Amino acid sequence: MRANPEVLILEDDAETLEGLQSHFTRKRFHPLAARSASRALSLLEHNQFSSRPVLAIVDWDLGKAPDQAASSGDVLSRLARELRECPVIVYSQNIDAFNVRSQIQRSHPRALLHDKRDGDASLLERVDRMLDRTVGDLRIHDGTVVVHLPSLDQHHHREAIRLVVHHPDVVTFHSDTSTKAVRRFGEWLREHDSAVRLVSHGNRKYRLNVTVTT
Amino acid sequence: MESDDPRLLLGVFAPDRVRSIVVITTDGELAVAVRETVPSGVAVVRDARPDDAEEVAAACLPWPWMVVGTTDALRPGLASMLRLRPVLTLWLGPAPAGLPSHAVGFDRHSAVLAAIAGACVANVGGMRLAPGSGVELGDGSLLRGATLDALIGAYPRGFALPSRTFRSINDALARAGTGWTTARDASARVTLVPSPSSAVAQ
Repeated sequence: MRANPEVLILEDDAETLEGLQSHFTRKRFHPLAARSASRALSLLEHNQFSSRPVLAIVDWDLGKAPDQAASSGDVLSRLARELRECPVIVYSQNIDAFNVRSQIQRSHPRALLHDKRDGDASLLERVDRMLDRTVGDLRIHDGTVVVHLPSLDQHHHREAIRLVVHHPDVVTFHSDTSTKAVRRFGEWLREHDSAVRLVSHGNRKYRLNVTVTT
Repeated sequence: MESDDPRLLLGVFAPDRVRSIVVITTDGELAVAVRETVPSGVAVVRDARPDDAEEVAAACLPWPWMVVGTTDALRPGLASMLRLRPVLTLWLGPAPAGLPSHAVGFDRHSAVLAAIAGACVANVGGMRLAPGSGVELGDGSLLRGATLDALIGAYPRGFALPSRTFRSINDALARAGTGWTTARDASARVTLVPSPSSAVAQ
């Protein structure tokens, strides 16, 4: 089954947002793009029963947003409460200021920080490093496929992508369908004699573990 | 049910079972430094203020792995949790009343950060903190339990808590054949020690 993973992008500058959106579309992700925090919250709200973004990119300073009804902190808090396993990159011109970092950390304790002054290219490079990941003998290709490198066999499911993207973290899956997909991925790893194994932490929590052979 | 207090909607209050470090300061500066110190994936740093630290700590399930503070007062509920649970407790500056006797005091920022960094990468006979929660054994298998996480992070120090707190961990360590158990040290704190049976076998 093929299911393209989604990426939430919150950026108040229209041109930058379009650039980010095109980047992810080219990589075969489905971008959930918003210029305001309210729109981002609405996308999360209406999307919660279809799938959950594998990544969120949030601009901390939303001075140019078409509406100011909500803040980036509100979006981060929502992500932390409801999608805590989704990696979040927050970028700001003022990321060096400890009070900005502290506000971000209180909104989303796991958010990764990025300096906006390094430019969009630097942000995209970081995102690509996170998404085009190699874990043991597995590699994510084009954001939508997990490739077993020794055999070049492919596994197409966003829950498999989620596990590889989040390695070594534990990921919680929220439905029977996604849990079944994860178990199928675990079987696929065993069938391919992969160096990566699926580890269950109970209560629909899983992580990948790389076996080191000597 | 969601609280009516909008402040409690912040992500720092979201319940989570991942290993957590609660940092209590009036301005958040130490929390930012702690976050830069903790290796990715080992623990989530929760930036708390003195008036909300109890709620932040309560969101760490089953309890925080570590509490770091700089304040000169502590709410009674939080102090009580620190005295009843095996929580690594590190304090910068004068310690407030109510801290457990196993709390460790520091007078320099750099020293507290070094202690936190050391706890994150502790290795006790091949047992190390696994990403997120639990302890990875030398053979790659996983033992889960906040008490064992605490014992590994605190080693070679221990906790001034009743022995019964550690009974189930002793059973789990023995079942997994780790060769380690818990015992009271010279300061009457419970810590990890090589189990007598493994010492005899050697």
